[in-house]
Amino acid sequence: MQTPEFQGTHLFDRLCWAKENLEGHQSDYRVVYEDSVDECAKILVPDPNWMACALQGGILPPVEVYWELAKDEAKPDFVKHTRGHLLHNTKPIEAMTEEQAIEYLIMKDCPASVWRTYNKGNKQKMVICRKDQLPATREWRNAWKISDDLSINAKAA
Amino acid sequence: MANGKIKADTLEHSTAGSLDTQYVVNGSAKAWMSLNGADTIAIRNSLNISSVTDSGTGDYLHSFTNNFDAADYNQQNNGDASDGVNCGASITQTYSSSSSRSRYYNASYTVFDAVLASVANNGDLA
Repeated sequence: MQTPEFQGTHLFDRLCWAKENLEGHQSDYRVVYEDSVDECAKILVPDPNWMACALQGGILPPVEVYWELAKDEAKPDFVKHTRGHLLHNTKPIEAMTEEQAIEYLIMKDCPASVWRTYNKGNKQKMVICRKDQLPATREWRNAWKISDDLSINAKAA
Repeated sequence: MANGKIKADTLEHSTAGSLDTQYVVNGSAKAWMSLNGADTIAIRNSLNISSVTDSGTGDYLHSFTNNFDAADYNQQNNGDASDGVNCGASITQTYSSSSSRSRYYNASYTVFDAVLASVANNGDLA
């Protein structure tokens, strides 16, 4: 299905269009990350409708728009967003592969302190894996950490 | 949009009265999510959600595709435990305009993985 020309259309309206017209895509990818040594590993799960938008193209704004809004919100005198138009008026990005979509999502929804330095330091702070590389049950969930012995087929947490 | 628009400020019923459409626009949920919160976490259905982060037992953070305009939106949570009896109370821990983190508790005030966790957010979008 062809995406309508959405630049200038409110992002929420685009999401409503996508929900009505696109089939959700359940990704097998998961992002495991640790943003605090005192906490267990966290696991980011992509939303199927969001992934459908990413694969379709022409719907989502560039990830840099979210960074700009985050900068505004971090200011001490922030009350409410005044640059929300960036979400709606910035040219939407083209279709992504599932792998590119995961990278986008990491830069949108994971803390920047994690993804900017994910492989620096003594221990890997973030890893992308398949969901079958996670423990099958949630036993001892609050003790999960990224495995020290990472490989393509091994358990990631 | 391709299908056009109907613009109206008021909806009027033949006998039951009328309603300003701003109530419909402002009162509708701007984001919602139904989540399988046990075993392998997965989003079952949603609107305006980009991801959910499993942060530990009964601890989930959902991120919005279209941010709210401020961190003052309303959130309703509900969670069902695996025994089908315990209905989870939940506490929203942290709000921002881009995400919200919730923890689910059972009747004994113990954090639990909700078999079905649902969230709805009302408020003004950015």
